Formats: sequence, structure tokens, C-alpha cells
Amino acid sequence: MLPYIILGLFAGSIYALASLGIVLTYKTTGVFNFAYGGVAMFCAYVFWQLRDQWHLSQWLVIPILLVVVAPILGLILEAVFRPLATASAEVQIVVALGMLAFFINLVPIIFGGADHQLTSIFSQGHFHWGKHVVVTWNEAGTFLLTMAMAAGLYVLLRRTRLGTATRAVVDNRDLAELIGVNAGTVGQAAWIISTGFAALAGILLSTDEGLVTYVLPALVIYAFAPAVLGRLTSLPLAFVGAVALGLLQNILARYSTTGFPAKLEGSIPYLALFVLLVIYGRRLTEVRSSLRPLTGRASTGSPRWQFGGGLAAAVAAAIVLPQVLGVSIQHDVAEAMAYSVIALTLVVLTGWTGQISVAQMSFAGVGAFTAAHLAGTHGSLFPLAVVLGVAIAVPLSLLVGLPSLRLTGLFLALATLAFALLMDNLVFGSTSISGGLTGLNITAAKIGPLSLKTYTAQFYLCLFVLTIVGAGVFWLKRGPVGRRLQMVRDAPDAAATLGASLTLTKLAVFAAGAAVAAVGGSLLAVTQQTVDPSNFSFNQSLELLLVVVVGGRLLVAGALIAGGLYLVTLLPLPSVVDKYFPLLIAINVIFLANEPDGTLAVAIRQTRFCLAVLYRRPRPDVLLPVPSVLPPTGSRELSGQHG
Amino acid sequence: MVEPLLAATDVTVRFGGLVALDHVDLEVAPGGITGLIGPNGAGKTTLFNVITGLRQPNQGRVLLDGSDISRWPTQRRARAGVARTFQRLELFVGLSVRDNLLSAWEASVSGGVFGRSGAEGRARVGEVLSRLGLVSVADRRAGELPTGLGRMVELGRALCTRPRVLLLDEPSSGLDAAETARFRDLLLEVVGQDAGGPSVLLVEHDVRLVMEVCDQITVLDFGKRIASGPPEEIRDDPAVIAAYLGDQGVTDVA
Ligand SMILES: Nc1ncnc2c1ncn2[C@@H]1O[C@H](COP(=O)(O)OP(=O)(O)O)[C@@H](O)[C@H]1O
Ligand SMILES: [Mg+2]
Repeated sequence: MLPYIILGLFAGSIYALASLGIVLTYKTTGVFNFAYGGVAMFCAYVFWQLRDQWHLSQWLVIPILLVVVAPILGLILEAVFRPLATASAEVQIVVALGMLAFFINLVPIIFGGADHQLTSIFSQGHFHWGKHVVVTWNEAGTFLLTMAMAAGLYVLLRRTRLGTATRAVVDNRDLAELIGVNAGTVGQAAWIISTGFAALAGILLSTDEGLVTYVLPALVIYAFAPAVLGRLTSLPLAFVGAVALGLLQNILARYSTTGFPAKLEGSIPYLALFVLLVIYGRRLTEVRSSLRPLTGRASTGSPRWQFGGGLAAAVAAAIVLPQVLGVSIQHDVAEAMAYSVIALTLVVLTGWTGQISVAQMSFAGVGAFTAAHLAGTHGSLFPLAVVLGVAIAVPLSLLVGLPSLRLTGLFLALATLAFALLMDNLVFGSTSISGGLTGLNITAAKIGPLSLKTYTAQFYLCLFVLTIVGAGVFWLKRGPVGRRLQMVRDAPDAAATLGASLTLTKLAVFAAGAAVAAVGGSLLAVTQQTVDPSNFSFNQSLELLLVVVVGGRLLVAGALIAGGLYLVTLLPLPSVVDKYFPLLIAINVIFLANEPDGTLAVAIRQTRFCLAVLYRRPRPDVLLPVPSVLPPTGSRELSGQHG
Repeated sequence: MVEPLLAATDVTVRFGGLVALDHVDLEVAPGGITGLIGPNGAGKTTLFNVITGLRQPNQGRVLLDGSDISRWPTQRRARAGVARTFQRLELFVGLSVRDNLLSAWEASVSGGVFGRSGAEGRARVGEVLSRLGLVSVADRRAGELPTGLGRMVELGRALCTRPRVLLLDEPSSGLDAAETARFRDLLLEVVGQDAGGPSVLLVEHDVRLVMEVCDQITVLDFGKRIASGPPEEIRDDPAVIAAYLGDQGVTDVA
């Protein structure tokens, strides 16, 4: 047992470092740093570059990282998030997720995408402890180093002026500023320290697990559960929780290193995250709760011509596109339209109801794998498979939604994140469901007599479903359902005091979203023909959220743009596009998070602005922000007075 | 004494160490306006939250028409006829003024979200819009309105649910003198309707307005009820004068 405990302490102490860093910035600035894993990975690659490529002494490299790189990164992050201090939780989360994607996509560009083995920063050997127990210097060194860092943080917060100021800000920000504490400086310090911890955690983790682009951020998500244990505000609880988590995982590993227990071991942190969120429930409140609601310009009822225009465009696409597009591009477009169907669920969920989900692709995966299992061998079962996929996705969404939809904003986003990762590990990761790494084939799906083998047939099917779902969603938005969603989004308390049930509304949207995502997933399965678990992973859900944000999360058109962006990754374009495209999306998200109408809306507004300036016809609604004072009798009288 | 329409009994709310409400009792008689006053931080808004179910009290009950609604979720209380406005505006900023009211109607009737009784709802909304003078801004987005109009929209939203008790939280803050006067007339008109207008529980910092329109007044201070009675009594109550009105208040009232 003892060796496992030692391993557990070793792993737990690295988690502790990350948990402390996450809690520190959250409690001082109110920002939950989803990008923590990305930052950790970035720093680990810098370390690799400097030590293993340029052969600098690591005793020079580590100080450089902690004194130069981490503070610069920390200050950049602080500068990004400071203007968002009073923004709605939704915007903060979107930006943080955009940051995560930014780092994940930046690393391959700067350092090349290859994975590396890193040797430990401690000497190679081991020593004996007692008679039977062997402890490597890596384990011992890591443990001691992290303990020293934690102790240093404790002393810093308890014994220095910075610590006093930090506690004042955490206690009551306004009061602290009133008595002359500079909350901005405190925030900067917190970001610098937190990023330093991220750098260390990144290096220590990658000497253990290898330096792999996708693994490291996921490992850092392990630290979310301990952070939530301390309700994101208690450093000691986060620390204890992290060590306990490491111990639990490794003690479990004692019993089995294969099969389900092994999978469970990897899933425990996500399971713990989900369970903790559910148990704490409404007792989790965000440290900054007085936040501006977010509105776009397009969210009051859209004119009818958009509806007609959309339908006309769909018909035109049906007639024209198959004539002008090559067959393989038709196929790509079909796949992109399936993707748009899934994106539409996110428009409703995130854009219209204000709930952030990073699990939509998991529900799509349910549809896809159901389709592959059923219709893979018997193509004519495809319609049944779609229905069955929905029938599985809906109860699953209720299972997740019922306990977690009492949560709001950040905590709901965390719950969907935990769910998505659990699905990845336990469901899509299991060979009997996913068919292993190569996935499952579905090549001969049919709807009645109609074969979906040809790309043109797939194109028509996807176009048809997208049109139906798009039109349906658009139509709902204009009626009572749309109003109900907007109520829940803009002012949940008011909605409840008028008689609307928040839980029912959110649950209905969540379940409907899961159902439609499952349908979209089975369409994806048909177009992709090979259903591969990695297409439905948490990373894909994250990517989906980001392209929807860029497209415009309040707009049906936003989902279409999201599909278009996905199409870019399918088309045979020069590799430089593939290389930089995800990074551009991430950067776009960071800048556009405040614009729920997305890129296109912003572009239109800017164009109008430029035109107005060019032609010297100042249009008040373009040039000025929303008027703040109006005579109570309306604007007609106003213009009358002047005219 | 008449059976109260709405009653809160023995309500206690704690926020950590802070006792925001300390065994508070409150009654709202049917028909008419009951005032709830007290200095900032006295616990008035918290009491509203307890009555509407947005906050569970540590102790105490809320009765509507004699039946205990303490365990009901917020939306059920709303459907039973409890409506309110908010001190810090809680508008549906992305909806037009008309849709703010319409959505309130839809929330208050069962099946409203599926468009049931839509015609009736639109009629009600039209009626309320014109009574509150909101017709000219009906199609403007609520988030663009100045505070004064925003408060009117919140009032209209509450009225659309055909409440039996209407809780107004500082409805005149942010209004100028003329707007306040208009609001007072409107309030009296709404309550005085022959067809069973709502009873009103009014939280208001404008003491003059409260004295003018209320039939009964309850005074809170530091979470405790320090007085309760008709305006004339409250005006002369030494505890109220000392705790709430202060020097300026005495001259104000005199
Ligand atoms: N959510 C809350 N958390 C902590 N304290 C609160 C909360 N809401 C109100 N309080 C405190 O409770 C007391 C009563 O507040 P409130 O009911 O808003 O007073 P009033 O409406 O009479 O001005 C105040 O001291 C306030 O700071
Ligand atoms: Mg108040």
C-alpha cells in the first residue's frame, strides 16, 4: 500500500499546485481560469525549448520561467480579464475557454506539434525508505517543492502587506478600495503567482506524463474538483482536496491497472467535480454576482422576411449547389450542415437561454454511435437508430440536467465539462461502444428505399434536416417560447416571480438540445461514414462553442456560420490555413465574447459606421451608444420639438 | 380586524453573522395600500424576497389568504397572485416593452408558453400599456429605457399577471418630482379600481408619499419591527422618529 500512497502524494501535490493557482485568481478577481491547463502546457513547452533544445541549465531556465515568462503571461491574462470584471459570467467563461483554445493551438505553431519525453528536473535515481519502499528523487523532489510553494503562498497571504490587501479585497472589494487598497494591483499579483504555479505544475506533470498537447490541459482539469471542494474560494480545502484526490486515484490503481477500474481511476476527478457541484448546488455563488446582462441587437423579434429569405435560400441551395459543386465538396457541405444542426442547439442553449454547455458533442456522439451500431450493418435501420439515439440522449440529458440545472453560469458550465469528460472516458472510451481507436463504420444507411450512400443524397438529407430545425427554431424564437427563454436569460428572478419555472424551462431546453444534437450526430455519422470517438470529445464540444460564438450565438445564422467555419477545416485548403485557422478562431472568440451577435453583425455594424462617416450622414443609432435619457412620452415629440 | 390577505409571521433571515430580519411580523389587509418603511439595510427587500420565495427564511412562515405558502416555489406563489417589482431593475432587457408585459402574462397563466389564451393576453397587455402611458414606447427594447420608464414597465409586468397582492420595492427611486406625482396617481388608480384591484405592499423611501397613500404602515429598523399602525400613529411614534426619521425627518413630517 505504501508505494501507492507515495505515488498518490506525488500526484496530489501537483494537482494541489494547480488548484491553488485556480482558486487564487478566482477569489481575488472573480475569473475562473479555464485556460489554466493551456498556460501550464505553454510553460512546459517553453521549458522544453530552453532546456532540451537550447541546452540551457535548468537552474537557469526555471527562474526564467518563474520570474520572466510566468509574470508576463499572468499580466497579459490579467489585462484580458480586467475589463470583464463586471461582464456577465457568460462572457468571462467564453473568454476563458477561448484562452484555453488559444494556448492549445498556439503551442503547435511555436514549438511544433510533436510530443516529447521530459526528464525530471530532479536527479534520476531513487532511495530506499525503510526496507521495501523505493522512492524516486522525482517523487520526493516534486512533493517537497510543491509543499514549499504552498507554504510560501501561505506565508505570503498571512504575513505580508500584499496578503493583507488580498484578504481585504476578497472580503469586500468596494470597502477595500475605499480604504485605499489597490484591487488592480492585488489582481495582478494573483495572476502572476497563479501563472507561476501553472508553470511549475506544467513542468512537473509533463516530466511525469510526457509533454503531449492534448493530455496536459486535461490533466490540469483534474485540479478543478479540489478547487470546487473549496467552493473556489478556500485555499486550504483546495489543497487538502487535491492531495486526497491524488491518493484516491493511486490507491484505486493498486487494485487494477486495466479495464474498468483503470478507466474509473482516470474519471474520478471528473466524477468528483460533478458530484461536488451537485452537492453544493445553490450554495455555490459566484464571488462577483452583480453582473451586467448581455444583450445583442438582434434579439428582439426578427422580421418575417428573414424567415422567408432563409427558406428561399434553402430551396435555392437545394437546386443550385448540387449542380455547381463537385461531389466531394457536396459531401463536405453536407457534413458542415450536420454540424450546423448541432450548432443550432448551442444557439438556443447558450445564446437564448444563457447556459453554457461544453457537452453538446457528447450528445451528438450518442446519436452517432447509436446510428453506427444499429445502421452500420443494417442500413435500413437508420431511421430507427435516429429515434433511438434521441431516446437515449434525452434521458441522459435529464440525468445530467436535473441535478445540475439549479446551478448557474460558471458552475453549470463546469458541470457540463465534467459530464463531457466522463462521457469521453467511460462511454466513448470503451471499445464495445466506440469500436476502439479506429471507430465504427456506417456506409450503407438508408431511409426506406432511399440510399444515403451517395454524397448527393447525404447533401439533400442534411439540407432538409437543417432547414426544418433552423426554421423551427426561428419560429419558436418569435413566439411565447422565445419570450420565455429571454426572460430566463435576462432576469431569472423576475421570471420566477411572474410565474415561470426556471428549472422546467432550462430542463426542457437542455433536453430538446440533447435530442436535436443526437439527430445532428447521426447525420454526422452518415456523412463521416466512420464514427470516431475523437470527433465527439470534450475538445470538439469546446470547438463547437467557439465557432458558434464567432458565428453569433444569438442568431440562427450564427449556427450556419459555425457550420461554414467547420467547412473550412474539411476543405482541401493549403496547410497554412489548417495551421492558423483554429488559432484565429480562438483569438476571435476572445475579442467577440461581448458581442453575442457574432462576427457578421459586428462587421455589418462597422461597415455601416464607416459608410456613415464617409457620407457624413451621422446615423444616431450607429454612431451613439444607446440613449440613456428619454422623455417619458417617447421620441416622436422629441423630434417634433426640434423640427 | 379583517383577516389579512398576506401575512408574514416570525420571519428571521440571517446572512452569516448578520441578522437581516429578526422575528418580523407583517400583515397586508385586503384592498388598500400597506407601507413598509425603514432606513437602508433595514431588511425590507429581504422581506420581499422571503414573501416571493426567492430566499428561504431561517425561520418563519408566509401566509396567503390564511394558507401557508412558505414551502411553495416562487413561481407557484406568483400564480397564486403574489407579484412584485424590484428595487434594482430586473427588466427583460432584450425584449420590447410590449413583450416584457406579454411574457409576464404568459408566465402567469398555465399553458401560456404554448401560446394558450394569447388573444386574452394581448388584450390585457394593451390595456395595461395604455393605463401606464407606455404605448409610445411599446416597441422599444426595455434595456434602452431610462429608469423611470423601466420602473413603469416592471409595474406593468406585475399588473399583467392580475395579482392579488402587489409588492412594490422603492418604485419612486430614480423618478423626478413630476414623475413621482404621476406615479402616485397611478398607484391610487390601480388600487382603487372597482374590479378588484390588487392590495399593495409598498416599500418607499419617500416618506411623504407613504404617509399620503398608505392605510397602514409597518416600520423596520435593523431587521426588527419597531412600529405598525395607521400613518397618524406612525408619524407621532417616538421610536420611529428616533430610529428612522431622524432630525430631518421630524421637520419633514411636522
Ligand atoms: N444576499 C445577501 N448576502 C448578504 N447580505 C445581504 C444579502 N442581501 C441583503 N443583505 C444584507 O441584509 C441587510 C438588509 O438588506 P435589505 O433587505 O436589502 O435592506 P433594505 O431593502 O431595507 O435596504 C443589509 O445589511 C444587507 O447588506
Ligand atoms: Mg431595499
